[in-house]
Amino acid sequence: MVATLLRLRLRLLLHTLRREGWRIVLLVVGLLWALASSPSVLGGMVWLSRQPVEVVHDVLVLVGTVLVLGWAVVPLLVPGLDDSLDIGRFATFGLRARRLVPGLLVAALLGVPTLVTFLGSAAPALAWLGPGRELGVLPAVLALALAPVAGLTCVLASRLSTGLAARVLGSRRSREISAVGGVLVAGFAVPVVVGVAALGLEGALERVPAVAAVLGWTPLGAVWAAPAALADGEVLGALGRVVVAVGTVVLAARAWAVLLDRALVSPPARGGQSRRRRDVVLGREGLGLPAVARPALAVTRRALRYWTADPRYLSALLGSVAAPLIIVVLAGTVIDAPAAVALSIAPLMGGTIGWGRHNDVAFDGTALWMHVVAGVPGWADRAGRTLATLAWSVPVVVGVAVVGSMVAGRVDLLPASLGAGLGVLCGGLAVSAVASGALIYPVPAAGANPYAAQMGAVGASLVAQLVTSVATLALCVPVLVAFGAAMWWEPAMAWVTLGVGVLGGALVLGAGVAQGGRVYDARSVRLLARLSR
Amino acid sequence: MVSIPDPDPAPALSMRGLVKRFGATVAVAGLDLDIPAGSFYGVVGPNGAGKTTTLSMATGLLVPDEGSVLVHGVDVWGRPRGAAASLLGVLPDGLRLFDRLTGAELISYAGMLRGMDREVVAERRDDLLQALDLVGAGSTLVADYSAGMTKKVALACALVHAPRLLVLDEPFEAVDPVSAGAIRGILQRFVEAGGTVVLSSHVMALVERLCDHVAVVAGGRVLAAGTVDEVRGGQDLEERFVGLLGGGLEHAELTWLRPSSG
Repeated sequence: MVATLLRLRLRLLLHTLRREGWRIVLLVVGLLWALASSPSVLGGMVWLSRQPVEVVHDVLVLVGTVLVLGWAVVPLLVPGLDDSLDIGRFATFGLRARRLVPGLLVAALLGVPTLVTFLGSAAPALAWLGPGRELGVLPAVLALALAPVAGLTCVLASRLSTGLAARVLGSRRSREISAVGGVLVAGFAVPVVVGVAALGLEGALERVPAVAAVLGWTPLGAVWAAPAALADGEVLGALGRVVVAVGTVVLAARAWAVLLDRALVSPPARGGQSRRRRDVVLGREGLGLPAVARPALAVTRRALRYWTADPRYLSALLGSVAAPLIIVVLAGTVIDAPAAVALSIAPLMGGTIGWGRHNDVAFDGTALWMHVVAGVPGWADRAGRTLATLAWSVPVVVGVAVVGSMVAGRVDLLPASLGAGLGVLCGGLAVSAVASGALIYPVPAAGANPYAAQMGAVGASLVAQLVTSVATLALCVPVLVAFGAAMWWEPAMAWVTLGVGVLGGALVLGAGVAQGGRVYDARSVRLLARLSR
Repeated sequence: MVSIPDPDPAPALSMRGLVKRFGATVAVAGLDLDIPAGSFYGVVGPNGAGKTTTLSMATGLLVPDEGSVLVHGVDVWGRPRGAAASLLGVLPDGLRLFDRLTGAELISYAGMLRGMDREVVAERRDDLLQALDLVGAGSTLVADYSAGMTKKVALACALVHAPRLLVLDEPFEAVDPVSAGAIRGILQRFVEAGGTVVLSSHVMALVERLCDHVAVVAGGRVLAAGTVDEVRGGQDLEERFVGLLGGGLEHAELTWLRPSSG
């Protein structure tokens, strides 16, 4: 079975490479990047080999924990990275997931990130070859032996997180669950930001040994801590951590098999039936709108329903809200300017939310025919989608700006954070309103795993993402300049930032909707043809 | 869905010189067809004949490479786009719906997208759910519908704005006999009230029973078109169809296909 799955994965890989030249470029760039970064990894390990055991332990455990967490979290924030074989395709063969798991894990090795992680996991062996280690080369040998365990921990972490998330978001109760998830993320991120801000960087660094000692016994860090225990001469401690590390992989593989078994017999698209009496599209009232405005209202109400009911929108929502928080937490530990970092959450989040809509039409899939056949004018289509995003993102950005300025202890700069957040949000949405009528690329179909990688058109998606990022940044230069001036030069500029952000943002957004509408009008039928492929 | 009888002798749908190529394949090769107003028109043809491609170009869903389409004299592909939208009700085949909406919401959505008044939409939505036996399913998500129910709710979306011309691609596929009877009744009353229906199918018996006109399409061209009696010329429609396509295929026999114990 392992050989069969490995051959299948290899064949699929070769076919996609043959069909898409862009993938080869990506593959080569990825490999070059991995090769280019290997001297720094090896150099780091050589440097560590001259450090005392405690330092090496703390560094490796912390970096290793971040690596495992990264494998679990990044695929949730950036949908389209999970390129594992789709388990649903095996449903008709009557196989148990347990027979598939080993093969799927080995097949996962045929990817640059996995390969690099597995090889990189062996690097710590170098750090254990230095002077002052007990038991001679044994710690290094153990580190080498645990490298595959570390790699498997990473791969399984990503499979479990995307599998669970797809399951949760696909259930019909996803709205409640995702609300809880959002609260948990915020509840986790905010104390960390506040804590780091309160302790200061040095204070936080002083806590590192204690944190690393605890992490070294958890599933996240045990695999990195075991050789350290051996280098200290603690054979039992090393054994204990090996048991934790191996047990983690065994349990995670079992958990993944259970998840896959569920996916085999009940695809996520078929959750329990939910009933809804109220017609949210029609609404309680028509708002007294004239006929020309009704299509936009319909699109807004439909899109709002999708924001709460479609796993792909929910994962985009969680990603666009969580990614800035995580970036800020990571930046807060590295950059020693907590106030600036905390104030920047709002514009960052405005950017991820607004820019994140640049492929919105692709999420409709061929259902777009309803808009085409009804002759919905482009401006109404654009305005409807934009208003639905604004309806939830404006309160979120305002809230984040308020909390951010309070954490930073610079309430006087709240107008700046607010203006930058709303301005960047509007700029991103303006670019999205134009781009989603012109540059679309494939996304998972409605009801499919929202995290699955999409075959075809890597080139198109790279071009679309690059063009929209650059355009968003260019549009946001004025408000970002004002924001920077308020933070580092003249606090009174905060009110200018607010003015530029809100008024300029509204103006740019209006122009984006109008221009996007013209682009859509000229191309809607061709968009539909692209979506049908 | 009452429409004023059409005194206009011009065809409800007129296609001239339609051509569509997909790469090297020519799906529709210079197709001409006039659908008289007030007719119940069946388009039949083998798999891959170009039926869906033709109907997509006729309804503004696919840009023709060449040719023109007029709906009651309005150019579907002229400027401004969408001038023919209010005249047309469309049921495409093989395209998705916004399936995270409930059936009732989807019908409302189709109505609102056309700028209809809220009260009118609400009333027609309830009538359509009733007529298509979807009242119970009106409050569940379209994602949870069976294939037949999906077809029915899509048909309701095509009807909600009371168009003058209905273009339906395989409207009876996967629909149970009881619902099919209800749909036939709705379509027949629509034609009696002066509307025009074009439907595609590969079930000859159904077209023979339901339609007054028929066109046989194969290889992206019209092989024969006219009233059902003219086209079949005294024969069974199915015999005539097979005759037009140049006889039956040589059937290779699967001698091994019998229940085995292994």
